[in-house]
Amino acid sequence: MSSYSLPEAAPVPAVGRRRLTANLSWALLLSLPLLWLLVFLFVPVLVVLVVSFFQPTLSGFEQSFTLDNYRLLLTSGPFFSTLANTVLSALITTVVTFLAGFWVAYYLALVVPNLRSRFALFIIALAPFFTSFLIRAIAWIPMMGREGVLNSALLSLGIISAPLDFLLFSNFAVRVAMAQLYMLFMISPIFFSLSTIDPAVLEAARDMGARWWNILWEILLPLARPGIVIGAVFVFVLSMGDFATVRLIGGGASTSVGLSIQNFVTFMQFPQAAAAASILVLVTVLGVVLLLRWGSIGEDL
Amino acid sequence: MAVLAQNERPAEDGVASGGQRGTVVLRGVAKRFGTTTAVDHIDLTIPGGSYVVLLGPSGCGKTTLLRMIGGHEMADAGDILLDGVRLNDVPAAQRDISTVFQHYALFPHKTVAENVEFGLKMRGLPPAEREQRVSEALEFMDLANLRDRLPKQLSGGQQQRVALARALVTQPTVLLLDEPLGDLDRLLQLRMRVELRTLQRRLRISFIHVTHNQEEALAIADQIVVMEDGQIKQVGSPQEVYRRPTNLFTASFMGDNNILAGRVLSVNGDAVEVACDGLRLRANGVPHALTVDQPVHASIRAATVRVRPEATAATDLPPNCVAARATFIEYLGDIVKLHCQTASGLPLIAKLPESDTSWQHIREDETDLVLYWDDADVQLLTA
Repeated sequence: MSSYSLPEAAPVPAVGRRRLTANLSWALLLSLPLLWLLVFLFVPVLVVLVVSFFQPTLSGFEQSFTLDNYRLLLTSGPFFSTLANTVLSALITTVVTFLAGFWVAYYLALVVPNLRSRFALFIIALAPFFTSFLIRAIAWIPMMGREGVLNSALLSLGIISAPLDFLLFSNFAVRVAMAQLYMLFMISPIFFSLSTIDPAVLEAARDMGARWWNILWEILLPLARPGIVIGAVFVFVLSMGDFATVRLIGGGASTSVGLSIQNFVTFMQFPQAAAAASILVLVTVLGVVLLLRWGSIGEDL
Repeated sequence: MAVLAQNERPAEDGVASGGQRGTVVLRGVAKRFGTTTAVDHIDLTIPGGSYVVLLGPSGCGKTTLLRMIGGHEMADAGDILLDGVRLNDVPAAQRDISTVFQHYALFPHKTVAENVEFGLKMRGLPPAEREQRVSEALEFMDLANLRDRLPKQLSGGQQQRVALARALVTQPTVLLLDEPLGDLDRLLQLRMRVELRTLQRRLRISFIHVTHNQEEALAIADQIVVMEDGQIKQVGSPQEVYRRPTNLFTASFMGDNNILAGRVLSVNGDAVEVACDGLRLRANGVPHALTVDQPVHASIRAATVRVRPEATAATDLPPNCVAARATFIEYLGDIVKLHCQTASGLPLIAKLPESDTSWQHIREDETDLVLYWDDADVQLLTA
């Protein structure tokens, strides 16, 4: 140790005080979002959960505890197949948006050469979101209907001899429409993940003999994983809760738990709606937990 | 260590076999980007097993040249040969050449061992052999205890060693290094350049190293290739380039040279006298023919300029002597730099060793000095 004297460190009480004010400002900063979550998420969810245990009546419910709502739903075949269809649609939508969206994100982040055109193209990719959800959903009808653009085109090209019915008002139609509607929620996070990759890293990989599939498997997918998981969570959650697309594009040929809830609400069956909603939330959360665990996202963030 | 043993042969072998593997020959190599010429028809031979530094300011084409040798950029014209084989159409991965990229370009999600293993994996080597060679390369680069770390958990120097291990594990005959010391702090730079030099001596493969740092080039190279505007200005050993710059660019880029513009006064064999702004210079051993009244530049290294305190009338001084005063004394530790001005207003710099205490008696703008140097220390430049 040298004998030179250095400036004295700040006295301990001052440090303590500083830490206290730092903690206080942290608490203040955190309290606003917490308050927001409390008022707009936790309380409504709690209310729904409570109502799901109330006894339904013809005009609503009375406040007496019962498990009948859950018992009726969970022993009902139609509700189970609706739930299964919802989960299947959500999974298919998630996989399809990933398979298609990854390449869009890849192109934007790593092929487009300069930052300016990259973000310009990204904004253009966002353009569908400048119009209302309803308009985009309804726009599928003239596209995919019996006499819609697609069928007419296929007929006049002689590829088919009769209009394809499954293009609209079917599970297929619902899944195609949801994939299109939610694509951006997959593209954006993957785009941001891929944007952080130093192009020199890809060049180094090629220098060491990596082919494109090696680069995809060894470099791009692992580095894009946080974005893929976040995108998958977005799309999965949105598709699980969807009822508007199912109603408009499914047209009765497709079902979802969201649509069932809406029907319960229309008939003032609030406790049944609440029970179905609670089951939907539970299944959705389970899916998200599995996704996050599979992506082991905690390690990267 | 055996991993690299194929290259690690005793010095005698290389000499005896006459010419080692790793000889790179460039013939008329050119590269344009749009309307700018990055590399302008370069001819260069890099002897096998030598340490060559491409030196020049940013934008001089040195990195483009390196990238063409590595196969990351296609040459528009000319031939690139490695040990007599034309490389132009050989993909980067199939050249017997590895690259240490600027900022290292390590795979951020792979551990040290996985980074080093990558090239072997891409070549389809069986896992057992990969593991063997990775372990040996990590041992060789003193990284064995860091094998499971991620790049972000390593210091700059450790990252550089990983980049080296990753490049060397495939046993190249030529290693390309793009500004390899640029990311390191100064003390580490000084240490790593010794390590690079030692590594090259041990491996006896060709190292081609790009830098804009003259001191680094002087310290490390067998041959320095000075580049400007896509052209080679001078090729030589560090001593040749430093002591005998052949052109104005090299003389000014190597730093510490006093460069004066003047005209030839007289030519007497290889002794030439030159007049520069009221200052008479004499050079001997001038290698190229000069004629009287020809415009030339003279370069005098600051470290060869000597100083004595003496008040004198400027006219009675012999050649290579000039009356001046110090305008600013810059103390740099091991040396002291005197920024001087002659009576006619020319700026001249003299560098004295710190141990030469005579500078302590010199007062800025006050003490009358005579600056003088030897005939042999005057370089006349016509280009």
